[in-house]
Amino acid sequence: MKDWFLILRWSWRDLRKYWVKVIAIALVIGIGTGAYAGLTSTANWRRDSNVASMELLNMYDVRFELATDSSVPVGELAAAASGIEHAGWIEGTVERLIRPTQVDASTGTETVLVPGEIVGVDVTNGGPAINGWHTATGDGLTVADAGQPVVLLEEGFAFHNDLAKSGMITVSGGVELEYKNTAMTPESFIVVPENTTSFAQGTYAGVFTSLETAQRLTGFDGGVNDLILTVGAEADRDVVATEVKNAISDLGVGVNTILREDDPSYRLLFEDVENDQEFFNIFALLIFVGAVMGAFNLITRLSEAQRREIGIAMALGVAPRKIALRPLLVGAQIALLGVVFGVGVGLLIGNLMRSVLDTFLILPVWLTDFQWSLFFWVAVVGFVVPFAAAAYPVWRAVRVKPIEAIRTGHLAARGGGLAPVIKRLRLPGDTFAQLPFRNLLRAPRRAVLTALGIAAIMAVLVGFLGAIDSFLGALDRGTAMVEGSSPNRMVVSLETVLPSDHPAVAAIEEAESVEFAVPVLQIGARADGVEELDLLVEVLDLSNDMWQPALTAGSLESGVDGLILAEVAADDLGVEVGDSLSVTVPVRSGDSSFRFVEADLIVAGLHKSPIRFNAYMDDAALSLLGADGLANVVYANPGPGFTSGDVQRELFSLEAVGSVQKATATADDLDDLMAQFVGILQAVAFFVLLLAVLMAFNSASISFEERQREHATMFAYGVRVRKALRMAVIENLTIGIVATVIGFGGGLWMLWWVVNITAAETMPEIGLLVELSPATLVTVIVLGVAAVALAPLFTARRMRRMDLPGTLRVME
Amino acid sequence: MIELLNVSKRFGDGVPIVALADVDLKVEAGEFVVVLGPSGSGKTTLLNMVGALDNPSEGTIIVDGVDISNATRRQLFDFRRNTVSFIFQSFNIFPGLTAAENVQFGADAAGRGDEVNPAEILAAVGLGDRVDQFPHELSGGEQQRVAIARALATGNPVMLADEPTGELDFVTGVQILELLQKQAADGRAVLVVTHNREISRVADRVVELSSGRIVSDGPPVGGKASLSELHW
Ligand SMILES: Nc1ncnc2c1ncn2[C@@H]1O[C@H](COP(=O)(O)OP(=O)(O)O)[C@@H](O)[C@H]1O
Ligand SMILES: [Mg+2]
Repeated sequence: MKDWFLILRWSWRDLRKYWVKVIAIALVIGIGTGAYAGLTSTANWRRDSNVASMELLNMYDVRFELATDSSVPVGELAAAASGIEHAGWIEGTVERLIRPTQVDASTGTETVLVPGEIVGVDVTNGGPAINGWHTATGDGLTVADAGQPVVLLEEGFAFHNDLAKSGMITVSGGVELEYKNTAMTPESFIVVPENTTSFAQGTYAGVFTSLETAQRLTGFDGGVNDLILTVGAEADRDVVATEVKNAISDLGVGVNTILREDDPSYRLLFEDVENDQEFFNIFALLIFVGAVMGAFNLITRLSEAQRREIGIAMALGVAPRKIALRPLLVGAQIALLGVVFGVGVGLLIGNLMRSVLDTFLILPVWLTDFQWSLFFWVAVVGFVVPFAAAAYPVWRAVRVKPIEAIRTGHLAARGGGLAPVIKRLRLPGDTFAQLPFRNLLRAPRRAVLTALGIAAIMAVLVGFLGAIDSFLGALDRGTAMVEGSSPNRMVVSLETVLPSDHPAVAAIEEAESVEFAVPVLQIGARADGVEELDLLVEVLDLSNDMWQPALTAGSLESGVDGLILAEVAADDLGVEVGDSLSVTVPVRSGDSSFRFVEADLIVAGLHKSPIRFNAYMDDAALSLLGADGLANVVYANPGPGFTSGDVQRELFSLEAVGSVQKATATADDLDDLMAQFVGILQAVAFFVLLLAVLMAFNSASISFEERQREHATMFAYGVRVRKALRMAVIENLTIGIVATVIGFGGGLWMLWWVVNITAAETMPEIGLLVELSPATLVTVIVLGVAAVALAPLFTARRMRRMDLPGTLRVME
Repeated sequence: MIELLNVSKRFGDGVPIVALADVDLKVEAGEFVVVLGPSGSGKTTLLNMVGALDNPSEGTIIVDGVDISNATRRQLFDFRRNTVSFIFQSFNIFPGLTAAENVQFGADAAGRGDEVNPAEILAAVGLGDRVDQFPHELSGGEQQRVAIARALATGNPVMLADEPTGELDFVTGVQILELLQKQAADGRAVLVVTHNREISRVADRVVELSSGRIVSDGPPVGGKASLSELHW
């Protein structure tokens, strides 16, 4: 029993000697496990928060939407529902009046003119019982507001346009309304208006008000056109949906049924979780693996330093189990501290992720508890690795004859390694120039392991920074293409498809603030290649004076009767310029009816934008589709002296105009979205940088101890500390260069993987290219080469203060 | 060449351990002096101070005209580079360098890398045929010869050896001592530390230390002996 106490006391001394390294290595493990937990937690958070938010605001189970422009008197929809056979399954119903509108929320400095919708419900109880309204302060509408020009404004819209929490807006008909507060509601957690394929939180305004006010504003006196209901747990929802639909149809109106999971907001909210997560999982795993490899290497070296003592213990007949105890205790200290740091780093990164999610997703409830279950498994690995790494040298030592273990010192520091191989290969320079390389070659395994440990982290860094570059690069390409030769171009959406020579289109062209106008037909199309893709084809006169898509392949001249695709679309469809592609296009055949036309189109060119669904065609090709001379969009360029706000204001008042946005609005939105995402990556990159620095520092510090006697001998011979440092720097520089080269290779491979496999799967609509900015290259090289090379300078003080007699006398 | 005046060395505070007390010693160039004493008597402490690895608590040490008890860090580095050369009990030769390269290191350290032919020096210490071996391929005696060759390569006038025979068998130890003695004959001041009274008999002059004080200074007790006369 007593000898165990001795070993414990001995370990206590080990700890006092190693504590800086124990902390630093534990931090490496902590960053690895914590980053993993933090990054992977978001999926659970978002799922939990989505569910809790839906629950809080009592998201509908089924929604019944009456056909466009139809309505029924208040009470009839609810009565229809309560009259069905299984009415007992219905828990609650809410009748609503929902009508499109245009919203002017301009502030003194910013013009905000967007399409939107007015949603009216009974506010007797402060708001709807289903799809409730959540305000941060709890102040919503009260029964006193019924019929008054008082509304709530959708939170995301207000947030994205930096609007105040209360204020004034103007809606269609020039009616001024006071918004008392901003509010969230399940259908607006993510806003995806019809015919819009992208995120539109900032360009679509939800206006929530009392049923009476809505009726007054829209001229639907006494009418409702929407019913939402919830069902009990025991209910068969589909039966309820069918029965209610039939009951409403019996009222003589057309009705469309939407189930909860088909609600665009609901669907996207959950789909998004999975996609984002896959992405973060990859990075989390990379950081974790890099950190674990690095820690393994450092701990092994720390433990290896006791190899001679292990040999002595073996010679004395001590059981390997007991011999392993001291190194294992150091491992245990690192493991325990690593777990503590892991929780800390996990909480930190978690906080970061939460703050990003918080601003970028509009949810009333955020459940962001530390995900112990996710942390658990990485913590187990992070806990086991230090033990394995500490035990490994013991295991190696007990397999050789004790004498070989003892003889690691001066007697026979297995001078071997690769040194004999280069015995006759004289490097230029004196022995000071030789020593660093000899030292590396003497212990090639250790040198390679160290280089690999650093390389693993460099690779993660390259992968990380490269991913950021690739995202930003895609954004830049997108913006550059949208801006083109007409950066202020406005996109005017018409409410319906019109002949291009319709007076409404002409009115846009003739507007005072508009210099040029180009009519465009925007149609959804399905392309059938290797896979099927939905495209948004913009048909316009490609020889117009205002704007053309920028091409990377093919030419506009040859594009007259062909399709211009995004590179990523061509890739996914498996076509090249000149190939023929089968495209199914819906073409309006009457006032409100479509027919589908199938056509074989030539791929005439590829454009620069990373957005996969964007495609372009010359209007001469419209005849092919039997739909020439139509437009539902007009590009308008502000004239000299006119701002985009002027154009918005002037065109908004025109009949048939649905919305007027800057062409860059979508790109700007995407920019915002990506900025959040890139923000997370950058924050995490900071931790990876920290990892790299920690590795370099630890490695240099351990090297210093391994070389202590050699340094002391040099100092006894009058070699200056400066010179000894220079040798250490050269040795590390070599390792740093090797590590950076390997890390760069590995990082590029990771980046290739992230861009071409992960991103292609999780964000198929965005075509990323492998891009590395000069800043990234410099960062990686500076870090990998310079930081690793200069890390020994940290040991300068210890070299200067070295106890020469003591170090020279002590055997190991 | 070496002059110690009233040198004392204490370790630790509170109740200090007196490692050396009031030591006066003078060694001329060409002298071969053995410092003899039991373990703990202060021999290493003495040597370390002459070699400027450590500084005295009191007293003055002048080596080759340099007062190293009052020198700056920089001067001490220069001193170690150009005045003394060390031979250690545990050899401390660089495992990553071959025998010749270790010797070359000594010359490089003293800034006379171009003036020295390591093979020649190794031949002089009897290792002419082991020039390209790595330390782990050499016996202890051979490694110590490499260490001596490295010290010689510095060309420095003072050679300090702390228990150079400590890890060697008796015969090899005596051979090493003879080798060191030869260096004194070439005009160096050679200070050798040992606890082995028998071995000290090969010296002309033996300085005996006990509890940090010099208790005798003169020819070996029982007279100088040649290798064949030693008992083992
Ligand atoms: N760094 C030190 N700290 C404290 N005491 C020391 C130190 N170095 C040597 N001593 C003490 O000084 C005395 C002389 O030591 P040393 O010169 O090494 O003896 P020797 O070489 O004759 O065996 C011993 O009692 C030893 O314990
Ligand atoms: Mg001693």
